[in-house]
Amino acid sequence: MATQVATSRRGGSRSSGIRSGERLAGWLFSLPVIIILGVFLFIPVVMAIWVSFSDWSGRGSPLSSGVNFIGLGNYSDVTGGGGLAEKNFGIAIRNNAWYVILVVPIQTVLSLFLAVLVNRAILRGRSLFRMAFYFPSVTSSVAITVLWLFLFSTTGVINKVLSWFGVNGPNWFNDPRGIVHVALGAMGVDAAPTALTSHGLLGIDWWEWLSGPSFAMSAFVLMAVFTTSGTFMLLFLAALQNINPELGEAASVDGANGWQRFWRITLPQLRPTLFTVLTLGLIGTWQVFDQIYTGTQGGPGKTTLTPAYLSYESAFINQQWGRGSAIAFILFLIIIVFTLFQRWVLRERKVSKRRSYNHQAKGKKS
Amino acid sequence: MTWNNSRGWLGAGSLVLASALILGGCSGSDAEPTASMAPTTGDAAVGDLTSSSDPLTLLIGSSGDAETAAVQAAVAAWSAESGVKADVQVASDLAQQLSQGFAAGSPPDLFYMSPDAIGGYAGNGSLKAYGDLLTNKADFYGPLVDNFTVDGDFYCAPKDFSTLALVINTDLWTAAGLTDADLPKTWDDLAAVSTKLTGEGHVGLAFGPEFQRIGVFFAEAGGGLVVDGAAAANSPENIEALTYVQTNLNAGNFAFSSDLGAGWGGEAFGKQLAAMVIEGNWITGALTNDFPDVNYLVAELPEGPGGQGTLQYTNCWGMAADSPNQTAALNLVEYLTAPEQQLAFSAAFGPMPSVSSAADAWTAANPKLAAFLAGAKYAQYLPSQVGSNEVVSDLNAQLESLKGGDPAAILGSVQSNLEAVIK
Amino acid sequence: MSVTETRPEAARQHEPLNRFTRLRRQAKRLGIGQWALYALLIGMSLIYIYPFLVEVATSFKTDTEAASDPIGLVPNIFSWAAYSRLFAHSDFPRWFMNSAIVTVFVTAGRVFFVSLAGYALARLHFRGRGFVFAMVVGVMAVPGVVLLIPKFLVLKELHLYDSYPGMILPLLVDAAGVFIMKNFFESIPVSVEEQARMDGAGTFRVFWSIVLPMARPALITIVILSFQGSWNELSHFIVSTQSPELTTLTKGVASLASGQLSQGTQYPIKLAAAALMTIPVAVMFFIFQKRIMNNTQGAEKG
Repeated sequence: MATQVATSRRGGSRSSGIRSGERLAGWLFSLPVIIILGVFLFIPVVMAIWVSFSDWSGRGSPLSSGVNFIGLGNYSDVTGGGGLAEKNFGIAIRNNAWYVILVVPIQTVLSLFLAVLVNRAILRGRSLFRMAFYFPSVTSSVAITVLWLFLFSTTGVINKVLSWFGVNGPNWFNDPRGIVHVALGAMGVDAAPTALTSHGLLGIDWWEWLSGPSFAMSAFVLMAVFTTSGTFMLLFLAALQNINPELGEAASVDGANGWQRFWRITLPQLRPTLFTVLTLGLIGTWQVFDQIYTGTQGGPGKTTLTPAYLSYESAFINQQWGRGSAIAFILFLIIIVFTLFQRWVLRERKVSKRRSYNHQAKGKKS
Repeated sequence: MTWNNSRGWLGAGSLVLASALILGGCSGSDAEPTASMAPTTGDAAVGDLTSSSDPLTLLIGSSGDAETAAVQAAVAAWSAESGVKADVQVASDLAQQLSQGFAAGSPPDLFYMSPDAIGGYAGNGSLKAYGDLLTNKADFYGPLVDNFTVDGDFYCAPKDFSTLALVINTDLWTAAGLTDADLPKTWDDLAAVSTKLTGEGHVGLAFGPEFQRIGVFFAEAGGGLVVDGAAAANSPENIEALTYVQTNLNAGNFAFSSDLGAGWGGEAFGKQLAAMVIEGNWITGALTNDFPDVNYLVAELPEGPGGQGTLQYTNCWGMAADSPNQTAALNLVEYLTAPEQQLAFSAAFGPMPSVSSAADAWTAANPKLAAFLAGAKYAQYLPSQVGSNEVVSDLNAQLESLKGGDPAAILGSVQSNLEAVIK
Repeated sequence: MSVTETRPEAARQHEPLNRFTRLRRQAKRLGIGQWALYALLIGMSLIYIYPFLVEVATSFKTDTEAASDPIGLVPNIFSWAAYSRLFAHSDFPRWFMNSAIVTVFVTAGRVFFVSLAGYALARLHFRGRGFVFAMVVGVMAVPGVVLLIPKFLVLKELHLYDSYPGMILPLLVDAAGVFIMKNFFESIPVSVEEQARMDGAGTFRVFWSIVLPMARPALITIVILSFQGSWNELSHFIVSTQSPELTTLTKGVASLASGQLSQGTQYPIKLAAAALMTIPVAVMFFIFQKRIMNNTQGAEKG
């Protein structure tokens, strides 16, 4: 196989023979993809970069002569500025940060848990359970958001169930109180300590940063976990089924109990999948838009405002196209930073010689 | 990927450059519609209207089926008369659809335009200032014309106006043992009456969690967001007003309509979740259509420490500068703002005519709604400077946590935001 | 027959086993742990399924009953009002049609273009192959939110805004799909194509008649993913259209949720719309569920 490939590569420079039509065919075949990706993904990004550095007001073409380059004006308005632009951005980042902090761990743990459970079920039941857990991931985010608005309404299913336990459920999607603040209030911390309120970041003081997601945002957190745990469960399931049971059996012979087996043997072998799930989770949660657009449009009290929705709102509703583009690119940077950070945290650490020898001895792919 | 990477980058770069040039060329040549590209309002005020045989599109932000049906009927009648086809579209999000339409260069010909949005659109040349060309220009109320005059140009014809008043459920009123003499005249009266009316499954007074309703208390306290052209959000009067609302919200006799599970005050009223609501004229159409069994009366809002006060709302028929058939559009606007047509609209969904010649006929036809018209004498309107709608949105966001919030702090932040906007 | 004597050994080694033997063995081995496992699994499955049952049930309730009895699965008063309002007084049929049109074109287009490009990247050697590959990878890294505003700008410049082509064209190619096909084609032995080439077939002929038919499993995956992706797409339709004639199901139901047809909180009609919207994807899901669930991990590995 290898030699064949080598020959054909050298053969590619010949202009005659079997491979002659191949170069043309290669370009032709890729052309639709190149054109569409180029025109609708690549060029738009370039155009948006220009708009984010300009003062285009929304009328006419952004490439026309009346539009001026204003350097980092839009970016500094949003990250410095001192006005509403900065405050809205700060609020959006805070909301999305809490969303990410809650959703990613919960969905990872839950999907791993479900995968472990389903893996131990008998074959017939396994496919039924897989279907049940995966079904929400197939539906549209719009449909699920509508359903969620009903389930979490003041007179909805969730509050009904809570009332069976004597708990008076909040008016979920209309309640702007942060859950951390509410919890602190229940423990007696009612007022904001001045140390926290006198300083801040992005126009929000630290006390507000620590407010936690609002009840409305918490409903969205639960919705995200509901819809994505199925997909990630499948990834973990596939990985679990690829694990060689011999290792686990060897460990139990050595006296390891179930929990130790899971933690020391199974989990490390799931590292690549864990990495994938975390990456996908981070990328997805920082971009939450559809649900906000359909459900709360940033309310109540701006507690479900996210950078993606703020970017859309600034541009499409408030006619601030430059600012909207700037927010989108800052978000892009944030996603890259988080992905790289997570990659670094989960990187393969140097394996000691003894361990790597054992790996090779077993003849397994690493 | 065995071959030279730099070639790849060169290729990519030239592709980008080529496309940018092509696109730039493209957009440059398909000339922006008319000379009105330059965003100076002076150009737009000149009275040369476009004319063609293109059909018209109207985009409206309807308050309900009643309004949609009424506008469609009126436009259809005009179409039959004038021979120009016109289509009415109901927006699910008027601001977004307008903004997207303008940016895409294909806006509707006529659309509802509110005072807080007009500054921005007039500023970037999207609107045609046709106010001076209206044959019935003198008939419009002065303050309404002011609302839609930017930099000296009268942009669009006010289509109607409404004020906020107190709408009371007469059945719940009498059931609580109250009579006409108990109609609230002061803030204390209001608090007392709403406490009496709060009972099983209904609250005394409800209103939307927004400045667009709570602002009446600001006016009644003698304050307001903008006073004499300057930002006055954190004045003592405003703080007093917010504190009054907060106290009663926490006491339970006032409530936000959203906390009652309703989408707006009218729904809370119709579903009898609240005995009284602060709403505008549009509630009449909604009640007739959706909740015909609820009996109500309309009373003027009580006086506060600063006297009587309420808020006034109006929209105008904005005309796009890019519209190809502005002559026909102007004709349609004159038809829709004529006294007879405005009275018909009023009968259908409630707002008051924007022309003084219809005032007497309206009062005669709607004796029950006299309180709304009375409010016009002392009504305030929302600030309309460019950027003020974002400030009001931010205020609304903070008002949602009013129960546990600090009125002085809330108003303080609004003041600094307003000062940035009012130069 | 002869199998019966050897059944115990066979049973231990082969799958699928006789159900009862397996169950008995497992039950003996794990005892109560197994019951707890199933109880937990069944409980969690119910939690995942129940919301959808509530959705369908509520769509048949009246507004007042939806508010007073949200949990019950059987309406006291069975009412078609939500559905009749949806079909008679709203644009729901048109939304459905628009979604169907877009989905059909996008799915067909994607299958074709993505397999072409995947084949080119996997098998054909041409200068620029690396560049195209880099572009596909790079595009996959750009988050969708960054593209909201710029896609609108480009569509506007190309005069494709507010039209069917504007809705369909940008969705026609999917970077992940190219990856899937490329991986698949790389797994097909080259000898098959070499043979056809020797016989004088042109590149396209080889692709179309020899290789593509062998790619059926991957193609079905692409069909499923494209169908799901374009049927459930929302943000692209927000930025690419504005007129009501072009509204798709996602955009239409989103506008319902924010109160277009109903100024208030009329849940049955909103839930009816959401339920109807989910049916096609659900049907696809149930038919192809084995393939969907087995291929998701395949796709991710790529």
